[in-house]
Amino acid sequence: MRRFLSLLWLSLLSFFTFSAPVSATDSDYHEQLNLRPLPLSSLLASFNFRSNTTLSEFEKGNFRFFPRSLAQILQHAGTRELHLRFSLGRWDAETWGARPWNGAREGGTGVELWAWLEADTNEEADHKWLTLTNALSGLFCASLNFIDGTRTTRPVMSFQPEGDHSAVDNMQLLYGVLPHEVVCTENLTPFLKLLPCKGKAGIATLLDGHKLFDSSWQSMAIDIRPICPAGGECVLQIEQTIDMVLDIDRSKRPRGNPIPRPPPSEQLPCDASKPYNSHDTCFPVDHTNQEWTLSQIFGKTVKGTCPLADEAVPPVCLQVHHSRSVFVSKDVHEKKNPDGLSRCFHISPETDMELMLPRPDDAEAASSSTSIIAAETPLLYAERSFTGHGQERGGVQTILRNPSPDTEVEFIYMESLPWFMRIYLHTMEARIASQQPHTNASSSASSYSSLIEQVYYRPALDRARGTQLEVRMRVPPASTVFLTYDFEKSILRYTEYPPDANRGFDVAAAVITILDPTTQGQEAGGKELAAAYTLRTTSLLCSLPTPDFSMPYNVIIFTSTAIALAFGGMFNILVRRFVAADEGPEAGLKVLIAKLKARVKGVKG
Amino acid sequence: MNSVTNSLKLSLGRTATHIDRLPLFTRVVLVVMVTLEVLRVLFPRSWWDLEEWGRLEPDVMGIATMYRTNTYPLIHTSAIHLILNLIGLTPLLERFEASHGTLTSLALFVGPLSTGPALIYVVLERFILRMNTPIVGASIWGFLLFGSEAIRHHKVTPYVVIAGKPTIPTWTAPIAVLFVAALLLPGSSFLGHAIGLGVGYVYGLGYLKFLSPPDKILRWIEGKLNLRVRLPHFVSVDQKTYGRFGVLPLTNLAPQPVVAPATVMQLRRDPRLLKLPPYISLLCIVIGVAWLFLLPLDQYSRRTYISENALLPGQVHTYFSGSDQNVFRAYKHEVNELVGKDNTAINDKLEPIIKGLGLKTARQNFTYHAAGQTFAGENLYAILQAPRGDATEAIVLVAAWENVRHEVNRNGVPLALTLLRYFKRWSLWSKDIILLLTPDSIAGPQAWVDAYHDAHDPARVASLPLKSGLLQGAIAIDYAQEGRFESLHVVYDGVNGQLPNLDLINSIVNIAGGQMGIGVALQEMWHHNNGYQDRLSTMLRGMLKQGFGLASGPHSSFIPYHVDAVTLRPFGEGWQDEMALGRVVEGSFRSLNNLLEHLHQSFFFYLLMQRERFVSIGTYLPSAMLVAANFTIMAIALWVKSGQPASKTEKKAEKEVSTPSAPTTVERDLFLPLGVVALIQSLSVLPLYLFNHALETALTLFFIVFTLLPSFLAHFLNNFPSTPTTPQQYDLIRSFSLLLLGMFLSTLATLNFSLALLVGVLAVPLTFVPNSISPNSGLPSRVLATILLNVFNPTAVLVGLGLVYGWFGGGGVDAAAGADVSNGVKWMTGGVWGVLREAAVGWHVCGTYSPVVVWCVWWPAWVAAQVVVLGKKEVKTGSEVPREKKDA
Repeated sequence: MRRFLSLLWLSLLSFFTFSAPVSATDSDYHEQLNLRPLPLSSLLASFNFRSNTTLSEFEKGNFRFFPRSLAQILQHAGTRELHLRFSLGRWDAETWGARPWNGAREGGTGVELWAWLEADTNEEADHKWLTLTNALSGLFCASLNFIDGTRTTRPVMSFQPEGDHSAVDNMQLLYGVLPHEVVCTENLTPFLKLLPCKGKAGIATLLDGHKLFDSSWQSMAIDIRPICPAGGECVLQIEQTIDMVLDIDRSKRPRGNPIPRPPPSEQLPCDASKPYNSHDTCFPVDHTNQEWTLSQIFGKTVKGTCPLADEAVPPVCLQVHHSRSVFVSKDVHEKKNPDGLSRCFHISPETDMELMLPRPDDAEAASSSTSIIAAETPLLYAERSFTGHGQERGGVQTILRNPSPDTEVEFIYMESLPWFMRIYLHTMEARIASQQPHTNASSSASSYSSLIEQVYYRPALDRARGTQLEVRMRVPPASTVFLTYDFEKSILRYTEYPPDANRGFDVAAAVITILDPTTQGQEAGGKELAAAYTLRTTSLLCSLPTPDFSMPYNVIIFTSTAIALAFGGMFNILVRRFVAADEGPEAGLKVLIAKLKARVKGVKG
Repeated sequence: MNSVTNSLKLSLGRTATHIDRLPLFTRVVLVVMVTLEVLRVLFPRSWWDLEEWGRLEPDVMGIATMYRTNTYPLIHTSAIHLILNLIGLTPLLERFEASHGTLTSLALFVGPLSTGPALIYVVLERFILRMNTPIVGASIWGFLLFGSEAIRHHKVTPYVVIAGKPTIPTWTAPIAVLFVAALLLPGSSFLGHAIGLGVGYVYGLGYLKFLSPPDKILRWIEGKLNLRVRLPHFVSVDQKTYGRFGVLPLTNLAPQPVVAPATVMQLRRDPRLLKLPPYISLLCIVIGVAWLFLLPLDQYSRRTYISENALLPGQVHTYFSGSDQNVFRAYKHEVNELVGKDNTAINDKLEPIIKGLGLKTARQNFTYHAAGQTFAGENLYAILQAPRGDATEAIVLVAAWENVRHEVNRNGVPLALTLLRYFKRWSLWSKDIILLLTPDSIAGPQAWVDAYHDAHDPARVASLPLKSGLLQGAIAIDYAQEGRFESLHVVYDGVNGQLPNLDLINSIVNIAGGQMGIGVALQEMWHHNNGYQDRLSTMLRGMLKQGFGLASGPHSSFIPYHVDAVTLRPFGEGWQDEMALGRVVEGSFRSLNNLLEHLHQSFFFYLLMQRERFVSIGTYLPSAMLVAANFTIMAIALWVKSGQPASKTEKKAEKEVSTPSAPTTVERDLFLPLGVVALIQSLSVLPLYLFNHALETALTLFFIVFTLLPSFLAHFLNNFPSTPTTPQQYDLIRSFSLLLLGMFLSTLATLNFSLALLVGVLAVPLTFVPNSISPNSGLPSRVLATILLNVFNPTAVLVGLGLVYGWFGGGGVDAAAGADVSNGVKWMTGGVWGVLREAAVGWHVCGTYSPVVVWCVWWPAWVAAQVVVLGKKEVKTGSEVPREKKDA
């Protein structure tokens, strides 16, 4: 009976959802897991959780799916739009191709936070920002409260609000980043608690700290933005995203025995075509597209669906060619998408879903192109590194490569550097890497000047704020551009060094926002620059001149000892009264006896 | 006891009579001052603020407050202020009154000598400095009088004579006091004192004479009032002419120079003192060398220890074994097939294998030209990205295709590949791991490291297309030997004698020895019994390598960039297989991976004498410093000697006649010696340039030229000057060149201890070369000196180096290191040519600075010595006796 009802309900719902395109009001919460096998036996798993609440309900304090803890913080800090990122590892664009969500749901290594705050003055914005970071710090168990003035910037070109805002005038964008923050399980737990099903049901059950933080790359994102559909009521949308790239070999290791011991020699896949192949000699064949199951990779199966979720949205999707066979547990309905490259699975609420991607047939394995969907080429490759050596000066070099043979890429390159890296802006130059190493400078010089179109630079103030550098530039088709600048390292005060100062100082990732070429023509005023693709470089480790910290301690200890000895002795001599032994009052037992005697005498007398 | 009280009484009595004899005006002033002070103390600000009333305050000055210009010297801020001023002022004022008379003093000090400075002060303070600092106190009078007194003294004794020379003008003494007062006395007005002093100077020079009232008027007043009778202690106008105390002592001061105590002078002029420096130098050398031989003793060396606790060496299980050996065998087959092929073909084959492991690969071309040879090749490297890391740090695993002895690294390359494949399976790496495969062991790693730090010349070395983060450590595998091995040889010498952090070596010793049970050897001491002799020879071998400063393996290039690196080279026949070496590397990488900070805790300057014994810089540095100091001592001695009369007999006679007389100094002819030393020093660029840029074939020719050049140069220099060179000039040439040598070597000792010590010890004959034309240097000593000089000259040492190094390097090594024999033979056959070629390669590829030290520090010093030894004996005539100058 119950099943029948639920089926009816489902069909009704599906009727609704299919008849009217998903409108914000009636699909309050939905979740989806996208699985995409990547080359070199990796697997991209994208979890997406989205829920809405109307702005009027939000104002009243009626939260249904929207997490109350977060909502109260937003209300208190006057936050109109918020983006929070916890990331670890790096996306290997060469192998894995374009980033998921076009890079919109990821951050640089560590923690990244940017928000539009309602504020009329800078001071008010700073105050609200302080409130926000401190509150979020408590909520997410992250050191967000360390985003102080030196780590906060106000990007001018790079970030644009994603939501629909009626009044943009009194909104201020603040951006803070903590590159050294290590993202770990303690950040995942509060993240899961924000979900309506709290990781107890639905796809969120797969999220396990051990697997998530063992992945080659992972990014947790929270995006909150108001959305005003045409004619409808404005809603506040919270979207939680987790993207992770799992190494299949590594993930398949059982949890109790994670040590990569060498496999028994008979289990080692060998290249039998080699002439020397024998029982004790084996040329290994790695990264064959291995078979995997959900429970192997995540350590568990999907525990039903979240009952609160929109059932029209299939909870699990897998992106493989339709030609590949996929095994699922019963009560799971496969639905192939018309593009021929993906299929989705509907799960009934109570079943545990298991999914198995078997090894492709031998005929297919030969042409590996069919077994894995070819990765989409990203619009731009970026790699940033330090140049130079020594502890006085250095340089930063960003290599930007446009793989497209015919399209120019225009983007905004943003750096927020710590104040102790004093950059020499006059040394900043962008040059196209010449195909022939020995071209004369004059011919290539003409093209250099036009690479950088606009520079926004806010110099650092020592100990007060960091450098903010935004460069709007372009990379011609099929060419590589080197963006370089030099900087000087300051000497910090003795107390300003963090613990483990010899490690160096992390420099946050540069944010590259590629502008959408279709909207570029319209934005004559330079107001709305839609981002087509976002990517971040890796963070850097800048080693500053570091003193030998043991020396001040030696000095302190030495002087303290000397003073203690001298002062102690001197004080002792000064304060003590020297009396000859027979002059002083008698002490000890004798005095007691004498007193007693006197008492006795007194009694007698 | 009695005598003390007596003297005390005496001095008290003297003071009493002195006070008793004070003239009138001085007394009055003193009494007024003390009275005012007593008043000030008795009524502190309650009833009448004396200080407030009387002080000179620029801002309140006006017609009505003019009295302040007279009152301010009489008031003081505290009793101490008063006492200090009284002590300073009383004798000066007394003397002034005595020589000018009471009435004049009264007129001057109540009038212009108070108001004058006061007005100047007010004007300066108020209108120029725009400040308002009130002043009180009699010190302005004190400085005024001191200034005028100093001018008077200057007229009599213009200069203070120090060491027979008039040096300091006497009138400057108050200025010194002025500054001392400003520094020592808090709250004292520098400006006020300076104005007082200035007025004093002007007065002393006589420009203010017009201020004092004319004698006639004074006499008239005195006569009318009969002051001389009425007032006690009155100094009359008439008395002052002669002085009340008869003839004033000031005018009677004899022009006597201030002479240092006689005993010191005698000591300075003692001829024995000049004979001492050679012995001190010898002592320095002996102690310096003996010091070195003490170091291996237990009392002087220390046990090694792990300083960086984060390393945790040998604390992890290593799992590199089992079926990974099958993989190793397969890779070894692949590598064996490539032996003999060219660099690009090897890389073409290896790159797909590495790519198959899932690593990013890149290549780098490099071309070096040195000594007419071309070192070109292509590096292949791959980056294993830390699974959860962020390209901020990296560790490097180097496997050169050929080791320094030009053997193919048959086991090292496949082992590195297998290790990388194994490392890829772990997810615990916090740092990227870079696999670097270079065609050779010197140029390839150098090109790669240079390019990694953007310190390369883009014309010769290509930039790196792929980079990771900061390099935190590097380990090179040099496993050319076939079959199983017994122990591990850790090579740690970097370019220019720089060393990796001792913690790295300790960790490897700990992992290999403590965990894996593999012995560790250092400096090709294959069997080390931890006795004195073995320790000493390990240390000396290490010093020799450090001194040459050449690259000793693929790791050497990393060390100048502050990347700690070692090469591991298995040796001997034992039962350890390649997997054991792999586990050592695994353990070391796990330790480096643990590091949160760059290796910085332990020593960078040390001498290892056994795998668990070392001496640190504080212990060994004095040795090289002493040797370097011997040159400086000798240089100073020669300088002093050059300043003394040349002829010995003359000196003797003089000594007999007038030992305590004024000292004699000889004027030094500096131009020629300085010119010669500068010329030789600048000429040294020539061999440095030629030896580093000449073609291989021309090296030997240049070598012969530069061996013979000094003798010609000496001959030329000795004959060229139109005036014959004097012994003094020879002394000065030696002095300057030794001074430079000592300076260079002591600086070098902090950078490359061993090189400084080696050059220092080999240059010892330069200290004791006899001056060719000094009367006591006969022919035998000159011949001996010439032979000594030519045995221990840079070029001869270079010849010896080729032979001796080859001989001992080959002879001392057992069969396990048979390659060294061939190496030694190569050195021997190559001889000088080989050494020079190595040096040129080191210069161009690795940036070795040893040639600079040899050609620009040692060689010029030696040429200078050669010039002195081969100097022409001067035919001396009477007229050419060095000019002497006696002090007035």
